[in-house]
Amino acid sequence: MSDLIFDVDHVTLRFGGVISLNDVSLHQDRGEILAVIGPNGAGKTSLFNSLTGVYQPQEGTITFVGRNGKPMSIIGKKAFRMANAGVARTFQASRMFSAMTTFENVKIGAESHRGIGVVGAMLRGPATRRDEKRSDTRTNELLRFVGLNERANAISASLSYGDRRRLEIARGLATDPQVLLLDEPAAGTNPSEKLELVKLIRRVRDEMGVTILLIEHDMKLVMALAERIYVLNFGSVIAEGSPEEVRANPVVIEAYLGSSTEEVEHK
Amino acid sequence: MRTLLAKTAVRRLLITLGVMAVIELMTGPPGNNAQPLYGFTHSFDEPASFFGLFPAERWAIFFVFGLVFWGITSFWITQGPTVKKRVQDALAVPRAKTQKRPVRIGVLAGLLVVAIILPHVETAPFWQAAMVEQIEVYVLLAIGLNVVVGFAGLLDLGYVAFYAIGAYTTAWVTGALPTPPIFDHALNPFFAIPVAIALVMVAGIVLGAPTLRLRGDYLAIVTLGFGEIITIFANNLYGITGGSLGTKQIPHPSIHLGPIKYVWGITPVPYYYLTLSFVVLFIIVFSLLERSRIGRAWTAIREDEVAAESVGINPLKYKVMAFAIGAASAGFAGVVTASQLFYIFPSSFTLQFSINVLVLVILGGMGSIAGVVLGAILIQTLTAFLLHSPPAGYQPSDLYIYLGALLVTMMIFRPAGLIPSRRRKREITLSEDLHEGHLDEVLTGDDT
Repeated sequence: MSDLIFDVDHVTLRFGGVISLNDVSLHQDRGEILAVIGPNGAGKTSLFNSLTGVYQPQEGTITFVGRNGKPMSIIGKKAFRMANAGVARTFQASRMFSAMTTFENVKIGAESHRGIGVVGAMLRGPATRRDEKRSDTRTNELLRFVGLNERANAISASLSYGDRRRLEIARGLATDPQVLLLDEPAAGTNPSEKLELVKLIRRVRDEMGVTILLIEHDMKLVMALAERIYVLNFGSVIAEGSPEEVRANPVVIEAYLGSSTEEVEHK
Repeated sequence: MRTLLAKTAVRRLLITLGVMAVIELMTGPPGNNAQPLYGFTHSFDEPASFFGLFPAERWAIFFVFGLVFWGITSFWITQGPTVKKRVQDALAVPRAKTQKRPVRIGVLAGLLVVAIILPHVETAPFWQAAMVEQIEVYVLLAIGLNVVVGFAGLLDLGYVAFYAIGAYTTAWVTGALPTPPIFDHALNPFFAIPVAIALVMVAGIVLGAPTLRLRGDYLAIVTLGFGEIITIFANNLYGITGGSLGTKQIPHPSIHLGPIKYVWGITPVPYYYLTLSFVVLFIIVFSLLERSRIGRAWTAIREDEVAAESVGINPLKYKVMAFAIGAASAGFAGVVTASQLFYIFPSSFTLQFSINVLVLVILGGMGSIAGVVLGAILIQTLTAFLLHSPPAGYQPSDLYIYLGALLVTMMIFRPAGLIPSRRRKREITLSEDLHEGHLDEVLTGDDT
């Protein structure tokens, strides 16, 4: 508990009259694989976007503890600042640079946070070339790590859904993150790809020491992977605990399967 | 008759000839009060020529032109795919060769040699002046705008503003404006080069920082406004810019460095070489930039801004950078124009001008430096040719009919430009084939 990476404290996010996150509090330890689940429209992606600086919640605080161990407040920070601070992410519908090759996609991640400026790029001196070489090496390492090294020169739009996920994970890892946020990584993948994905995500945490936060619909994947789970429904946290606890929690079952009383209440 | 009309080739011929007749009438002489039908009747019997080559009556030229056009399109529609394939196969070998670095450098060095000896081969004063004013200046503008439009994907319709700022800075530094120059001391236009480039880059940042938060059409509208504002300033700030009457005489640049003494005089050739050296410099710098992490960041932003931000790229920073860097070559082009032409007038810096440069970039191939250079050279040579030996009945504004037709044709047959950039071409085929639903076919065939 002492080594926190995310601390979300009483966060409320509204879009006009619609409350997307309602007084959400949660926390994540460094090195933990944490999952956030919940039915459609529960506010999972809103939470993600709040953590990565895309949305700015109106109330509450979000603290992120970065590389140097100093806590920083996320609210009000732009998305690219969060990426540079060590929060990497993938997207629900994969967003790659489709006309670029797999290699280029990852390389952009590897070099975006390094400091060769315009003048360096214009002159292309030895420092720039060394920097390029370092990015290339890193890119190749990561492509091997996720198992895409053979597709390095393929145009990324030609990759299968499973490979796209890997590409996004590699691109996120290239930014040298502290935590990797995965938005429904299993969407659109087949069972064997799913299995591979579970292995890969574990390896990201075990071998690279990157903390994992994921949103997922696929219960099998969540149960296999997550060490702790938060359940969101209608923008509020309704349960928290280990996979076993959550699975047995009647509130969660109700939220997922629905009951006549629930439906009436919310109408 | 009906069976004949049912044939598509025949139908196409009739349509082509019909369109030609319309164009012929449109480009014909105007009517007048006494003879309202003059324009119509004399459209047919007026003598004309095809760029001065085949003197004949107008209708005959358009008729022949229509037949030729029909022949080409019919051939292309029936035989196009096989021809295309054969050409591609034939080109595959040299293309593989040009990918190699020494070959590429050799070709570029050869082109540079051609550029260096060109003014000694073509010695006509008209063409020597045109090489500087019509071609080199436009090449500079096209490669600069290419950074903004082609690399960063930002539609800038006010690019002329940077050119104007460059030209007016030259006038200011050399003391040709009503406003006194820096330290009240008129300088040689040479010193205008760094000042102008620095100033337009600052202008790029000043314009870019607030406006580049906008996307797409909104950005285009704002830049359009900026271009207009600069022209109106030049026109109306009489006490500062000299107003619509233009500037006082701008001196020629000169060097007095110890034993080296040289004055750029009235003849265009020395200007040609001065400008050529800067063209080469800008081409080198821009292509290094394109291949650097900055170029890749621009591409990333162009393709998916949200994803680019998620890997730590600050979109605003890179867009402003593109604006400022792209403006630099326009600033230099302004210096050349101002010091070579003696006088500058606000009326030279219009929206039309921005659009002209944009057309060069689009025709040449957005994002491809080789493409936009070729586009600028071809189009501007054509423009200069029409100025030099206009066909009978040619009006200067007719140029836009030809350019428009060329643009339409290009968009149909080669939407990515004369020499397309590889990435841009992929983006275009990707979006087309996503619609048509045979994505895999294209992707497996392309470069791996």
